[in-house]
Amino acid sequence: MLEWDIRTWRHDGCLEPLYDIENRENEIIVTIDLPYVSKDNIKVYATEDILEVTAEMRSAVSWERWGSIQRRITFSRFRKQIRLPEKVNPDEASATFRNGVLRITLPKVRRQVSIKVE
Amino acid sequence: MGEVRVVEEEEVKFEKPVVVEGLPDVGLVGTIAVSYLVDKLEFREIGYVESELFPPLMVVHDGELKNPVRIYGSDTGVLAILSEVAIPPAAVYPLTRALTDWFKERGVGLMVSITGLPVPNRIEIEEPEVVGIGNSKDAIARLKEKGIEVMLEGFIVGTYAVMLKECQKRGVPAVSLLAQCFPVYPDPGAAAAALRTLERLIGLEIELGELLEKAEEIKLKARDLMRQTSTSLAEMQKNMEQDLPIMYR
Repeated sequence: MLEWDIRTWRHDGCLEPLYDIENRENEIIVTIDLPYVSKDNIKVYATEDILEVTAEMRSAVSWERWGSIQRRITFSRFRKQIRLPEKVNPDEASATFRNGVLRITLPKVRRQVSIKVE
Repeated sequence: MGEVRVVEEEEVKFEKPVVVEGLPDVGLVGTIAVSYLVDKLEFREIGYVESELFPPLMVVHDGELKNPVRIYGSDTGVLAILSEVAIPPAAVYPLTRALTDWFKERGVGLMVSITGLPVPNRIEIEEPEVVGIGNSKDAIARLKEKGIEVMLEGFIVGTYAVMLKECQKRGVPAVSLLAQCFPVYPDPGAAAAALRTLERLIGLEIELGELLEKAEEIKLKARDLMRQTSTSLAEMQKNMEQDLPIMYR
């Protein structure tokens, strides 16, 4: 399938960040690379199965001759909505931001039952 | 079909040149490091590598048409190899064979691959550590002489792994420098750590201030190449680097 990457460099000043999802036994760890961003300008929203992150850049970033159209393009924020691979408990989620990378820990919703081995 | 050609536009005049390779890999550590080296020490373009196995594209810089995989040279006897595109898995073996044949012809004295060592806790690491791998007893001794920690066990996956092997087959001394890095994000901090180690290894002085000052800009510019590279690396089973070999001692 041909993936047309233009959607990640959008024309509304919004950029899709690089991100990674690690599906662990009891939690899902999402990391997102956010250059030009300060901690106070990050907003994280979560439901049981969706994570949404928006982050304003400290200052807008412009490329003078972007792509084959050779036009000036400017970005001032990142936005990403991620559908999580399993249901999580958003009330117990936590997030840290260090070295330009946001790390969100989302504990999974699990009802564990012990099964007797005979 | 499938042939890789090394095209030398300017003759390599040095005896036993050192080649520094920074093909795209985890964290784009080598690509960032070698791009910075080429720019900072004012290397000039001396050739390129072409193949039908590469994506059908060219790069335009300042209006000038360029091949995406290029060879640079400097008056210090150091050559550099850079790529602005991810290397497709099918091109890894033919590319490394063509390059190492060329290294042998040109009497390369040492080939250095700069790359990353992905670590899950990179977010907590301020100063990434660098380990080295040598393709012969002499290459390992060279790393140890310069106080560079040597990797003792593990799988290595990707272009640099095949490059070490192909150099070994041809008797070309080769080492890889692996800096702790983010697996899927461009990592200028890891590139700086690798360059500090390269300085020690080959006695080159590189001012690294600008690399760290421009880290955020580099991360943004390298974003698309990182995305392509991650796709390519997944096909190469790069995650095997986190596994233990069965002969583990």
